Order: sequence, then structure tokens, then C-alpha cells
Amino acid sequence: MPFNAKSMKFNANINTVEIGTGDKAIKIGGENTFPFYTFDAPTVNAPKVGIEISDMGLANEPDCIKAVYAGCESVVDMAKKAVTFEGVDFLALKLEGGDPNGENKPTEELVELAKAVAEAVDAPLVIEGCKNVEKDAELLSKCAEALQGKNVLLMSSKEENYKSIGASAGLAYNQKVGAESSVDINLAKQLNVLLSQLGVNSQAVVMNVGSAAAGYGFEYVISTMDRIKAAALQQGDNTLQMPIITPVAGDAWGVKEASASEADVPEWGCVESRAIDMEVATAAAVLASASDAVILKHPVSVATISKMIKELA
Amino acid sequence: MSTIFERVFRGNDAVYGLTQNAIDAAIAQYGADQPVSFPNTAYCLPCYYAVSGVKVKTLGELKAAMDVVKTLMGRTEELNSVLFSGVATALCAEFIEVLKYLNGANPYEEPCYGHLADAIIRELGVPLVTGDIPGVAVIVGSAPTKEDAAALIKSYQAQGILVTLVGGCIDQALEAGMTLGYGVRVVPLGRDVTSVIHVVSVALRAALIFGNVTPGDAGALIAYTKERVPAFVNAFKPVDDVVLTAGAGAICLGFPVISNEDEDIVPIPGALIGEPDVANFNKVSLEARNIKIKITKIDIPLAFASAFEGEIIRKKDMQVEFDGSRKDCFELVKTKEMSEVEDHKIELIGPDFDEMEEGSKQNIAYIVEVAGKNMQSDFEPVFERKFHSYLNCIEGVMHTGQRDMIRVRVSKNAFAEGFRAKHIGEVLYAKTKSEFEAVVDKCQVTIVTDPEMVAKLRHEVAIPAFDARDDRLNNLTDESVPVYYSCIMCQAFSPSHVCVVTPERLGLCGAVSWLDAKATNELDPSGPCQVITKERVIDEEVGAYEDVDEAVKKFSQGALEHVTLYSIMKDPMTSCGCFECICGIEPFSNGVVIANREYAGQTPLGMTFPELASMTGGGVQTPGFMGHGKHFIASKKFMKAEGGIERIVWMPKDLKDTVAERLNATAKELYGIENFTDMVADETITTDPEELVAFLTEKGHPALGLEPMLA
Repeated sequence: MPFNAKSMKFNANINTVEIGTGDKAIKIGGENTFPFYTFDAPTVNAPKVGIEISDMGLANEPDCIKAVYAGCESVVDMAKKAVTFEGVDFLALKLEGGDPNGENKPTEELVELAKAVAEAVDAPLVIEGCKNVEKDAELLSKCAEALQGKNVLLMSSKEENYKSIGASAGLAYNQKVGAESSVDINLAKQLNVLLSQLGVNSQAVVMNVGSAAAGYGFEYVISTMDRIKAAALQQGDNTLQMPIITPVAGDAWGVKEASASEADVPEWGCVESRAIDMEVATAAAVLASASDAVILKHPVSVATISKMIKELA
Repeated sequence: MSTIFERVFRGNDAVYGLTQNAIDAAIAQYGADQPVSFPNTAYCLPCYYAVSGVKVKTLGELKAAMDVVKTLMGRTEELNSVLFSGVATALCAEFIEVLKYLNGANPYEEPCYGHLADAIIRELGVPLVTGDIPGVAVIVGSAPTKEDAAALIKSYQAQGILVTLVGGCIDQALEAGMTLGYGVRVVPLGRDVTSVIHVVSVALRAALIFGNVTPGDAGALIAYTKERVPAFVNAFKPVDDVVLTAGAGAICLGFPVISNEDEDIVPIPGALIGEPDVANFNKVSLEARNIKIKITKIDIPLAFASAFEGEIIRKKDMQVEFDGSRKDCFELVKTKEMSEVEDHKIELIGPDFDEMEEGSKQNIAYIVEVAGKNMQSDFEPVFERKFHSYLNCIEGVMHTGQRDMIRVRVSKNAFAEGFRAKHIGEVLYAKTKSEFEAVVDKCQVTIVTDPEMVAKLRHEVAIPAFDARDDRLNNLTDESVPVYYSCIMCQAFSPSHVCVVTPERLGLCGAVSWLDAKATNELDPSGPCQVITKERVIDEEVGAYEDVDEAVKKFSQGALEHVTLYSIMKDPMTSCGCFECICGIEPFSNGVVIANREYAGQTPLGMTFPELASMTGGGVQTPGFMGHGKHFIASKKFMKAEGGIERIVWMPKDLKDTVAERLNATAKELYGIENFTDMVADETITTDPEELVAFLTEKGHPALGLEPMLA
């Protein structure tokens, strides 16, 4: 009996969200199939890859990243260089120096930096906060105001501060809102519902449903993403039809496989290639599971994942 | 004396006439093509644009707009005519104001602001949405004295409310030495009454910017301002016809008007409110607009954090102790009418801590009285249960127990830092108000330390209240309530599990009763507990409902399709993994064995609790096995479909002792069996199936005579 492939194209779609302006603007989401199921329907918008830099410059970066940005004297220089790497679709600026328990840089300083970076590059911009909910509420709201007209994505609006970030980014200044929850389909859904109750257009929301490095409780991440995509497409749940962006760099570079020095574990081999491997493995898995965009740190990871997407999508 | 209709219409006509003359005069001077605009706005004449959808750009268009305004001016004696005449007046005011800006003029000087730029609205919108600015007060006219004006403004300022001033109150505030300006959230608009339109313009532009309201969609506009813009008007007497008609416009947008005017005015409940004493304007206004002030700081001399929750205070470190096992003590939440509660009133009856001997045992009662439009007495125990955590979070205070069996210790250090009885009230007030803001509008706390009074209140108020609550819980049956609730708190680690919580079947974790689920739902409407209707019965005996199946399917994201409430064999309810107990069928005796989590030994099924747990956790349905709460064991609904509790043949001794009283009562009621638990075996009798059957036979256990569960 001949095998008849049955198309699994769904009647529901993931929302399409545009970030950035002009020729370099990107569209994420839009699909009506499971990831890379090109045999069910052609890819609408291939997943996008971003490269991450920090307001802290190279201060906390490992040697290999210092080498990548050798010659850059400022964060703006780094931004200019970062967007030239092969496969980079967008730039992610992480404002980790704002953390009150860390450097505690003033909001104004970080907003000025975000403005300077936005002026320096024409790639779409994603702004990540410092993980402190109170500071992020202020910081990301001010960034939304300062970057008017740039159509940036402001990450890290969480259950605790979604009102500030949602109102400023989503309502007042027409930016895109990143809704961040921690590896739980119901929390992701609840936050989307809360944002829409606030009046934020669900077409302006991108989810970060939480992640981990591959091997570190990663099955929860994959199961959550799978279930979100299934609920969005199979059951047509429009409170979960927002595209997903996953910041991979922070998780992947933090684990011992990526950071333990060659002196400590000579048998593991080159630390740089280990870190890239962790980043690539994690990114490939979240893309295969549901993510519409990933944020990476190493240009080699970016190029590798970008190639993978081209081959598969 | 004129009626309110006559006054509003007269005021409206007067303003309309003035506006018409002013426009004609301007056209005569500058010509119909002269541009008109407010500075720094993309919305032309924002109010007119919001209401009509038309952008007015020249004097000629402004004149044409007057005809549209005329259509709003109904003259029938109906409320709508009054309200729309008010809107017409407001639009005329905007026209008069825009004429002031003609030809690039700069009509407003320090300290007055006049028209506010779009940028200010975008900036204001965020704190308004987040509640950091809880409201917008519009103060119109002159207060009886400058001190009254300053006191009123300061009272709003202290609450974080944005204050806008129109007319005489501006100079009164200046004379009183107040600093005015956007930075201190007191914005003087202008001295003419028409300048009030600049705050209306803020509200309407907020609807366009933040509410995505389409310009010209007046219905959506009014709905937005009513629900989302927490503004209100304080109008000082004399309220003339013009102010009154402007007030009608405010009311149309959903902004209540509070005034000390008493002549020629008929109050409209919730909209036009007379309050002779200006000192009460703040309170009355907040209540009328339903504005709740966020509490950000608790006024106590000690630290307050969850880090102190586990702190133990030893006898030698203790300044004073309140011990419910030795002295009369209790804690109680009571629901009251709005008028019976004075917000943030904290009263102490009896001696304070300084008058108590060091190290002594004393009486205490704290009664938290709450009122709110959405408050229900079913929430009382939910609040009360949180007191334990609230008081423990205070550095140097320890709390155990609940109801009239509490023990509270205050440390010597806490006492030395100045901690006194009223501070208990401050903590209870602040936490109750902030954590339950969805339902608590007002809260007051009474602390009683007078021994006789505590004893009297305990026996006359507290104990009857606790008894009434227990009766309510005991009388709640699955049949007597209109809805059940879902609970998906555990889905983080058990993705396809859904609990259906009913009065007679609490969540399997034992922590979520039907009342808890109900309160969770009302306090957090998009949270983990959602209403499940029970209108479409499939089979009442096994507890199968189409509504329940639909809900379970939805909340399990399609993993589960059918669940029965009362059967362990047919589509039993799933378990996450945090069940207190598991029951499983025991084929030899035709009954079921129950094991609780604490029980470490073997059961007659040849499986331990962890082995049983592996059969039923993770949201899978395994007929014959089911996780549940301890409390459910004595329920009349416990596996009712298979015959109910008379199927129970074995339980660990500790568990049997815990549930004995209630289980025996149920057995007596259902089957007329006395001391049912004596027939139920435990590990001290046997864990061997054959010996179990022998024991049951000897006792004449009813399960032996029932139909086999495995068909």
C-alpha cells in the first residue's frame, strides 16, 4: 500500500510580529505548522537569529568573546561590529548593569546607551532588562520612550511589572512587548491575558516562555514549548498564538560545560568550542520545539544556527 | 428656584452663545482660513476630534463644528439631554480655549499650564495604568478658605493623586505658600472655568492613545473614560449654571462631581454628590470613584519581611505572650457594610504592651473589619489564615495557631524598638488591604487586651462566628452549589492534570477546598482556579457532566477528555503527584485500601505509598487507583459510584485515627453502621491479603457483600 503523507497544516496561525524599521526589519512568527514541517506547508517566516551584547561591554565576558570584539572601544563599537557577523538578523542589547544588586547603573545612563546603539546600527533592536523587576519596570519604560519610532522589542515584562512595561511599550510608544514567564504554559497564558486586558494588542506581543541550557532541566522547557505551540495551532488558543523568542546565550554560557577552564578540566578540551557547542545545541533544540527567534552570543553559533535554519526552513 | 434641567440648559445656551460670538469675532478679524490649533498635539482639537472623529484645522471649520455641537443640545427633560448638553458645553469650552492660542499666541503664563502636550499624556498614562497615580482630582472654584484649599490639595498629593486646579483655588494655593507644578503633581490649568477642558482633553487623548478608541466612537470613548480614567471633580460653591453644565459633561464621561453647594442642586447618587464639609471631599471622592490607594510602606518600627517568618522567640527573650490555650485570645475577620467601617482606623481597647508585666501571659483579640463592594463573608477564613504569615513576617514577633487557639509572642528587642499593640493593627491593615485589594475597599482593626472584654467577645462574637463558618462548610454539598472550580496550580510539574474542586471533594493536595478555590477565582480572575458550570448532567450517580468534561479538556490542553467526580473505576479524576492519600482496589476483599504519604510501610496490595503513587501520578487515569485529600475520606461522595466509604477495608493506623470521628459519622448516616473504623484493618492487624479477608469476615465488613468492582 502506498504511503500517503497527510498534511498537518493547521487552521490557526502564530501571529506575525515585525521588529525594526526599513529594509532591515524582521518578521517573526506567522507559521501554521510545527517547526520546520516544510512538508506540511511552506515556511512563512524563517526563525530569526539575534546576537547579544551587554551594556557592561566586555567586562564580564570570557576571553573568546573579548577576542571577537577586539579593537572595540565602546558598547556602540561592539554593536556596530556585532551586526556585521554572518547570519545576524537582529541585535539584542542586554542592560544587565542596571541591576541594583550589581553595578546599579542609573536608568538615564542606560537609556542614553540604548539610544546611542539604536542610532549606530540599522538592524532591528531587542532590549533585555537587568532581571530586577522594579528596575526593569522603570528602565524598559524609559527605553520605550527614548526609542520611539524604532519599533524595538522590550523583553522582560513579567507578571510583577507587566503593567508598566506593557503600558509604555505596548500602549504609549507603539513598541513590541516581550512577555516573560518561567517554563509554565499556564503562566505564559495568564501573562498574555493580563497584557491584553491592559489593552496591549496581542499582535504586538512576543513571548519568552523561559529556557535553560540543554541538559539542565531542559525537558521542562521543551515540553512547555511543545504544548504552547500545540495549544496555539491545534486548539486555536489565541491567547497563546504569540511568537516565541528565546534568549539562549545567558543560559548556555552560564553552565560549567561552557565555562570550566581548560586548566581545571583538560579532558573536556577547548573552552570556546564547548561554549559554542552548548549554545548551538540549546538553540537548535528550542528552534525545533517552538521558538521563532533565538538570541546567541558567539558569532560562530550565530552562523551555525543560521545555516541550520536555511537548510531546514 | 429652577430645576436642574433648566439650569443646565441655560448654562449650555449661555456658553454656546459666547462661543459663537467669539468665533464670529475671530473670523471677522483673521478670516475663515486662519489656522486653529493647540500646541504640541497630533490631535488638533483633541476633545472635538475624539467625540466626532473630525480634525478641525481652521476657523471656518471651527464654525462648521458649532452646528455639530448644536445637535448634542437636546432640550427634553431627560437625563441624556442633560449629559449631552454637558458634553456640548465642554466642546464649546475647547473652542473658546483654542481661540486663545490663535495666531501663535501664548495665553498661559506661570504658574498656569493651559493646554497639556501629548508627551505629558504618554508619560502620565503609564503611572495611571499601573496605579502609581491612583486618580486625577479636578478642583474647580474657590474653597471656603485658603487653608481649606491647601489641606484638600495636600491630602490628594499625599495619596499620589494628580491634582488639577481651575479658578480661584489656584491663587488660594499660592497664597497658602504651596509649590505648584507638574513635578509635584499639582497642575494649575487656568483661572477661567473653560480651562477645565485641558484636563478633559488629557482624559480623551488617553482613551485614543492607551485605549485604541477610534476617534468618533463616542460610546467606546465614554466607556473608556468611565472604566479606565479614575478622575473626579471637586466643585466649590457657588456652582453657577455654567459650572453645573460643565459638571454634567464630567458626569457623562463617568467622573463624579462632589460639591459643597447646597442651593438649587439635586444630588444624583454616584454622580453628583453634595458634601457640606470640604474636609470630607477626599474621602467622599475616593469612595465615589472607587479609588483604592496602594499601601507601599507599613508604618511599624521593625523590619517586615518573609525572612523573619520562621523566627522563634524563646521564653527568656519574650517581653509578653498572648496564649490562647491559657487566656482568652482570638483573631477574627468580619465583613461589614461600607458605612460601618472607617478606613485605616486602628483602635486599642485595654492596656498597651508597656502596661503589661515583662514575661507575662496576657489576653488579646484582634478583629479586622472589612468592607467592599465585592467582599463576601466566605473570604473571611481565607484572610484569617494569612494572619499567621503576616504577623510572623514582623521581626521579633512570633505567631502560631488560628482562631481562638493562637499564641503570639513579642520579643524584648521588638518592644525596645517601640513595637506596641497598634502596630499589630498596622500590619494587619496594610497586608489585608494590599493583598486583597480586589475585594477590600475599607479596613479597620480593633485590638482588645482588656481581659473581661476579650472573654466576652470571644464567647459572644468569635466562637459563634467560627461555628457558623463550620456549619456553612459542613452544609455545603455538591448539589447545593451552582458551580465547581478547576484548579491547575500543579500544572507546572504535572502538565495534563486538572483538579475539579467541589464542596464535598477538595483538591487532592488537601490544601484547596471549594471555598478556597472560589476565593482564589474572585481574587485573581485569570488565575489557576476557574469556574466550571454543572448544568449538563450526563450521569449524576458517577458525577459525570458535559461541562466538567469540556473544562477538563480545555485545561489539560486536550490530554483528558472525560472525568467523573465520584468513580474510581470509570474515568477517575487524575492526580498531579501531591496527593495526601492514594486509594487502590483490593481484589480479594472487594474493597479499597488507602495509604497516606506519611505511611512508610507495606499495604495489603503488596505496594508501598511510593509504589502506589507511581501508578497514578502525572495526570494519567488509572482505573482502580486515585489520589485524594485526607478530608475526602469521610465525604459522602467518596467513590460514591462504587458504593462509597463502605468499600474502605484498610488504612494505616495514624490515618484511621485522624479521620475516625468524621468517617464513623458518615458511615452511621449512610449505612447505620456504628464505629465503622473498627471494621477497617490497619498495619497493626495485617498487611497480608488473606489475613485481611479473614479479619473482615470476622468483623462482618460490608464490602465483602458488595458487587465485585472488577466486572
